[in-house]
Amino acid sequence: MTLSDRPIALSTKKLVAGYERDLPIVRGVDFAIRQGELVVVLGPNGAGKSTFVKAIAGLVPVHSGTASLGDADITSVPAHEKIRHGLAFVPQTENIFATLSIHENLLLAANVLPKERRQQRIAALYGMFPDLAVRPSLRAGQLSGGQRQMLAVARALVVEPSVLILDEPSAGLSPKIVAEVFSTLKVINKTGVTIVLVEQNVKAALAIADRAVILVEGLLRHEGPAATLADDPIVAELYLGARHVPKAAGQ
Amino acid sequence: MNPQALMDGLVTGSMIGLGAIGVTLTYSILRFANFAHGEFLAWGAYIALAVSGALGWLAPSLLAPIGPFSFGWSLPIAAIAAITLTGGLALLVDAMLFGRLRAKRSTVIIMVMASFGAALTLRSLLEFIFTAKPAYYTKALQIALPLGGGLRATPDQLLSLGLAAILVVAIHVLLTRTAIGRSMRAVSENQQLASVVGVDVRKVIRTVWLLGAGLAAVAGIMAGLLVQVRPYMGLDLLLPLFAAAILGGIGSVPGAMLAGLIVGLTEAFAVQFVGAEWRAAIAFVILVAVLLFRPQGIFGRPE
Repeated sequence: MTLSDRPIALSTKKLVAGYERDLPIVRGVDFAIRQGELVVVLGPNGAGKSTFVKAIAGLVPVHSGTASLGDADITSVPAHEKIRHGLAFVPQTENIFATLSIHENLLLAANVLPKERRQQRIAALYGMFPDLAVRPSLRAGQLSGGQRQMLAVARALVVEPSVLILDEPSAGLSPKIVAEVFSTLKVINKTGVTIVLVEQNVKAALAIADRAVILVEGLLRHEGPAATLADDPIVAELYLGARHVPKAAGQ
Repeated sequence: MNPQALMDGLVTGSMIGLGAIGVTLTYSILRFANFAHGEFLAWGAYIALAVSGALGWLAPSLLAPIGPFSFGWSLPIAAIAAITLTGGLALLVDAMLFGRLRAKRSTVIIMVMASFGAALTLRSLLEFIFTAKPAYYTKALQIALPLGGGLRATPDQLLSLGLAAILVVAIHVLLTRTAIGRSMRAVSENQQLASVVGVDVRKVIRTVWLLGAGLAAVAGIMAGLLVQVRPYMGLDLLLPLFAAAILGGIGSVPGAMLAGLIVGLTEAFAVQFVGAEWRAAIAFVILVAVLLFRPQGIFGRPE
């Protein structure tokens, strides 16, 4: 089955969201991703990329429109319930519990699983991320930037989500670590996990993505296969030109 | 120097410590200093007084002292009721006041001011229902037993110390070894991330109120048993509670207990050196010193 034949894993319809009701940041986004697909969400600073994924995750109020996981409407499902529906979200910053140990971070996430599966899932993740298994009792705050990102991804995978959303996992990491994180994401994607990736690191993201969508001023302005988008003049104009603008707070 | 100050300090300190655990938990999870926490001590003490009185009236045999202690079975039974009902009272105050302010995303100062209002209301209600006259769980007199080294303690005091130690260990195990404890620590570090990971933040907040108010009830009953029950007992302990919570490091349960003991002991020894009229100033001096020199407390980490 080719990608385009697969069922929709996650979609939004006319999604309007933002912290203030009269000042929506996401202004009516129609978006869909198929099962097993890896889609990167690009856009200039302040385009609403973070707000868009946070709204899907339940962290930013949705004013109108819907977000659906498969056929299930999850728009008004509280943030802490979304994980039970199979939606995992890795925020951009502060995405691990620094005062908890590595093992406690994973145990916390495993709490939504049936008791008998918890240890087995955590063991599987230690197998997948051997760095974390070296000293599971280490306080997560003592990990390096790359290890923290790996822990955040591992924690999100504990529940075997159908869809994994990551908000700029490359932020603050060296190019070498970014390459490691992205190749791990590709491996996870190959196991069948649908991935939505918000990124500023256009080249690295397009290299692993199947498709890219571009948000501008809270609207979905452009989309296409990742392979062709890298050379698309629209991408250069909309995105690459704005790349060096200092990052706006909260984005 | 009278070595008895050591025992007095430990006994007062364990009461302060239990109360401070509640302060430190609510502070670290709800992010505001709850000035109504002292009233939970007083309400716990009065609920136990009322239930114990009612039990004694229904079954006078329950008033007969248990072994070496000054109280009968009516008090332990009343204590369980008081812990439960004080927890319920905290949930009620949260539902009527703090929860509504949280929903409106009120600022910390509004929460703190609201807690002052809640404290006044709760205290005045106690005075209205029970009058300002001091009350006692029992009229029985206890002889302090010599423990060696010039130390003396009543069986009630030793029981209180033992109970406080057991409760601190239990709370510490709850926080470090159980799922709800991990959830509480997660919410205290990052509420938004905790909800993303699947933690029901509202459930954690309810647990914190039940736990904090339940411990406050125990501390209040201890204070009532070892001293007396008065509507202002919570207010008088409020400053030592905050001094201990901050000295211990906000969020640290062992820290709150250890700091409670430090505050209690310092008070007791200060009474010997500078006079009893300065007792109330000691907690204040400790609080100011900690804020100036080590604001993160003993077990806290610098921001």
